[in-house]
Order: sequence, then structure tokens, then C-alpha cells
Amino acid sequence: MTEEERQLAINPIVQSSVQHNTQVISNIRNLTASLFGVAAGTLGLESYPGFIFYLLGTLIVSVLLFMFRAEGQPSKYFHRPMSDLWLGEVFGGLSGFVLTWTLFYGLVRA
Amino acid sequence: MAQPVVQTIHRDPALFWWILLPITVVMILTGILRHYAMTLLQTAPKKQTLAQLRQQRSLVRGITLRTNANVLSPSSFQSRKAYMVQAYQEGKFLADPEARGKPRPNPMSDPAAMEGMMGMMKGNFAMMVPQTLIMGWINAFFSGFVIMKLPFPLTPQFKSMLQSGVGTRDLDVRWVSSLSWYFLTLFGLQPVYNFILGSNNSANQVTQQMAQMNPGAGMMGPEQDPDKLFLNEAENLEVMEHRWILDGVEDRLLAKYGL
Repeated sequence: MTEEERQLAINPIVQSSVQHNTQVISNIRNLTASLFGVAAGTLGLESYPGFIFYLLGTLIVSVLLFMFRAEGQPSKYFHRPMSDLWLGEVFGGLSGFVLTWTLFYGLVRA
Repeated sequence: MAQPVVQTIHRDPALFWWILLPITVVMILTGILRHYAMTLLQTAPKKQTLAQLRQQRSLVRGITLRTNANVLSPSSFQSRKAYMVQAYQEGKFLADPEARGKPRPNPMSDPAAMEGMMGMMKGNFAMMVPQTLIMGWINAFFSGFVIMKLPFPLTPQFKSMLQSGVGTRDLDVRWVSSLSWYFLTLFGLQPVYNFILGSNNSANQVTQQMAQMNPGAGMMGPEQDPDKLFLNEAENLEVMEHRWILDGVEDRLLAKYGL
């Protein structure tokens, strides 16, 4: 048994808590992605600026999650903070973003 | 070379009320309907006989013993292991001890396997029918004109799909007809379903198709020989390395509190 497995046996990870945390992250990401789509469409961003806007927005959301939801200690809530909190579900919200982006761009600009 | 001329098309604002909004509402309602249809179509698990249930649960018991062995002291783990391995090898838990060593029957003739296939067919059916209906509806009513401009450029390969029925050669690919709004809603409405129906909904066909790629991996299917599974589990238990979680707990405790 390796050292990591021993550590996991001593401090076990509860699966339902992990699922709950992932669900919370995913909900926040989906909601904010749709709102970013509304903002990008209203601002009339096209092609690359729109996607860069989305990436910047998700970065800000990641920082807010880190500060308020994880209270500055992501390792307390996530087994792998890098992939679960900072990068988790970044592309899951992309389809919702494109949907509202297209809708509001079509309504406001084109 | 001059800048390409930006094509502008003036469209009636009523397009939003009569095309975009109806398609979106229909897509959301179809998703909700599909969710409830899938919930209602799910067949309750068939009642099993006592012997079959014992066969199934005793295999699960072996697996549970293996995964949670760390919390058992060495002596209690050894006695459990000895009992389970012996029972597995003797075939004590088999539902049908006479069938040991005989070849399994053809899974196509087994009614339980047919039931599982029927369930999968129903799932596919509930996905295919609304998809075909809505695409037919959109093609019948809303094809032949562009309704909106995409905010990002696409390659010309998409022209035939997204501008179906428009038939102008030089129109920018970014102008799309109503079918592309259907595709956008198809992929982008999952968060909406999540908020309406809760996270474990079965509203979206895209996620369902992904889930069907590996149906029930690791489940004890009816076509597998239970005797082989038992012998396999006995071997797994035999070779596993057991390490008690309380080994050296005193040192860890003292180290933790810095004494």
C-alpha cells in the first residue's frame, strides 16, 4: 500500500460530500455562464473577444468561489483544489454561454 | 485588398416572438416531458427469489469486505476471509448448485436479459421520437429564411446545415436559419433543466447518449456465470494485502499533538 492510499484510509473521503461540492460548483458555473452570455451579447462582442470575455469571467468566478465558498482553504473542501475548484466545469458552462450570447446578440445588435 | 463588405439584413422584430420564443419554449417543455416520461417508463426491478438474492448479495458482501478491510483487526479479517473464501469455493451461496460447471444458456433466450434490452429500447425511443418531431416541425414551418446572426464565425462547411433552404451562395455563414437555433437550445438547455428538475434529471438526450456508452459497468449481468464470479472473488480475497488502520496509531497521535 502506498503512502497516499494510507493517508486516504486514515482520512477517508466521503463520496456524497464530494458530489455535493461538485454540484454546487457546477450550478454556480452554469448560472454565471448564462449571465456572461447575456452580458457579452448586450455588449456586442464578436468571435474571439467573446470567448476571452467568457474565460475572464470564469476566472473571476473562480476567485470568488475561492474567497467566499471555500473560505480561502480549498484543500478543506476539495481533494484536488486545482482541477476541482479552479478548472472544474469551466467548459461545462460554455454551451449555456453560447446560447444566451447568440440570443442577446441577435436581439440587441444584428 | 478591400475589407469584405459586412452584410446586413433587416429583419422583422416579430421573428423573435414568432420563431425564437416558440422554439425555446417547446424545447424546454419537451425536456420536462421527456424527464417525466422516462421516470414513468422505468420498470421496477423484478422480484427475485430468495436464493438468487442470496447469491447476489453474498458476492457484494465479499467485495465490501475487500474494500473495507482496513477497519478490521487482523484476527477478525482473517476469520471473515477464511469463511468467505471457503464458502465461495464450495459454492455455498449459489442459487442453483446443480448448474455448476455447465455452460450458460444463450442470453437471447433468457427473459431477464430481454427485459434489460427492452428498457434500453424504450430510452432510445423516448429520445428519438421528440427529436424527429421537433426537427420536422421546424423544417415544415420555419425553413427558407435566416432569422439571426451568430456572434462568432464558422467555416463554410456548416453552410449547408445551418442555412438549409435559404439557397443563396454568397451569404455569410454567420447568418443562420431557425434550425441552428434548435441545435443551440439542444446543447445549451442542460443548465435550465438542472434548475427546473434537479440535477439527476433525464431531460437531455445528449447527456443520456453519453451515459449509455458504458451501461452498467461492473454489474452482475445475467449472462455471467455466478460460480466463476465467486471463484474470482475468492482469489481476490486470498491475495489481498491487509493492513489495519490502527497500526501505529499511538505514534501518529503523539506526532499529531507534538508530544
